[in-house]
Amino acid sequence: MTISDETLMAYADGELDAAARAAVESAMLSDPQIEKRVAQHRALRLKVQAAYSAELSEALPERLLMAARGAPSRQAGNVVNLQEARAAMERSAPRAAPRRPQWQSAGALAASLIVGVGVGFFMWGRSESPLVLGPGGALVARGPLARALSGQLASEQSQSSAVRIEVSFLAKSGDYCRTFSLSGEASPSGLACRHGDQWQVQALARESAVGGESEYRTAGSGLPASILKSVEGQIAGEPLDQAGEKAARDRGWKSNAP
Amino acid sequence: MNTSETPQTVHEQIVALLPRLRRFARNLTRNPHDADDVVQIAIERALTRLDQWHRDARLDSWMFKIVRNAWIDELRSRARRDKLFVGAEAGEHIGADSMAREADLLSVQSAMARLPEDQREAVSLVLIEGLPYREAAEVLDVPIGTLTSRLARGREALQALLGTEGESL
Repeated sequence: MTISDETLMAYADGELDAAARAAVESAMLSDPQIEKRVAQHRALRLKVQAAYSAELSEALPERLLMAARGAPSRQAGNVVNLQEARAAMERSAPRAAPRRPQWQSAGALAASLIVGVGVGFFMWGRSESPLVLGPGGALVARGPLARALSGQLASEQSQSSAVRIEVSFLAKSGDYCRTFSLSGEASPSGLACRHGDQWQVQALARESAVGGESEYRTAGSGLPASILKSVEGQIAGEPLDQAGEKAARDRGWKSNAP
Repeated sequence: MNTSETPQTVHEQIVALLPRLRRFARNLTRNPHDADDVVQIAIERALTRLDQWHRDARLDSWMFKIVRNAWIDELRSRARRDKLFVGAEAGEHIGADSMAREADLLSVQSAMARLPEDQREAVSLVLIEGLPYREAAEVLDVPIGTLTSRLARGREALQALLGTEGESL
């Protein structure tokens, strides 16, 4: 009687019922080839298991632990929901100085918020936060980030730029928007849209700095999923090509839309 | 199993499953960052659908299935995005290179990475996660015969890859 290799495999995996098991065992006694094959199946199973056993004792990321415990994703995720972030900022605003124009205290708060939510912008520039809280409660880009958003073309940037621009597009709102990534270990990225004469940041996310993963990034799809979702939600038509990007910049990111 | 189980203990069970969920997700996605994202999405989905989990069903199988479905959704939306981003910048698929570099160091992992996806899933669930065939077939939504033939082909391929790589080193 011949026994299929799949049956031997199932035997090695403990999947056979008693009768089939007995048949394999008696075949093993009479045929050393069958015995050897079963041993190979078992050895492979052990080898594969062993190769993946170390992963079980790795430290778990806090965000997954929080998610499993059912904590709100605002705390669990590395994605910053701007609305919640702004609300948190307002809640924690010092009550002692209610008359101070909001943007003044909020500017400092924006910095602490950004550290607080772990976006890691300070990895990039300790002395100068690239974001401030604007008068209308919007997070506004400033400094090198604002300059890059206004002037830098995706097609002409060097690998060493502190800010990388990936995609530029016209949003349904009629504003031009661009995705950006900041250099540094935490490499935060975001989406900013040109509103009036400001770049308002619509979404922020951080790539966590687990070893070497940035090497897996591809140009467009390497952006964090949350940023891509924001792009998908806002884009009108296609992203700008090189010529379109340059033309938009040269017009100062003012769209022709009404 | 205690039927008056509180949601809290389900949370703790999911916490206990996390290492295996991550490991399975890494085998699916072949990228640790994607894996954690997918696990996080899966946990959030699972917690909103706890009523769909039958208490007599294994929580691990149910969660593996949600992880896998989350990854399938992610791949679909990535395919849409890739369409969106074609031409925005030439995509440099650096991932493949760094995968190859890792491959030199980790032979079982590299052999796994070379398996076709359906075989990798079967091997991952049965050999690594230790699910019975019936449970693994259920996670993958295939008949048990399909599962065993994928598993058999996956094993054969692994054996061939590990064997020949051993000699060439």
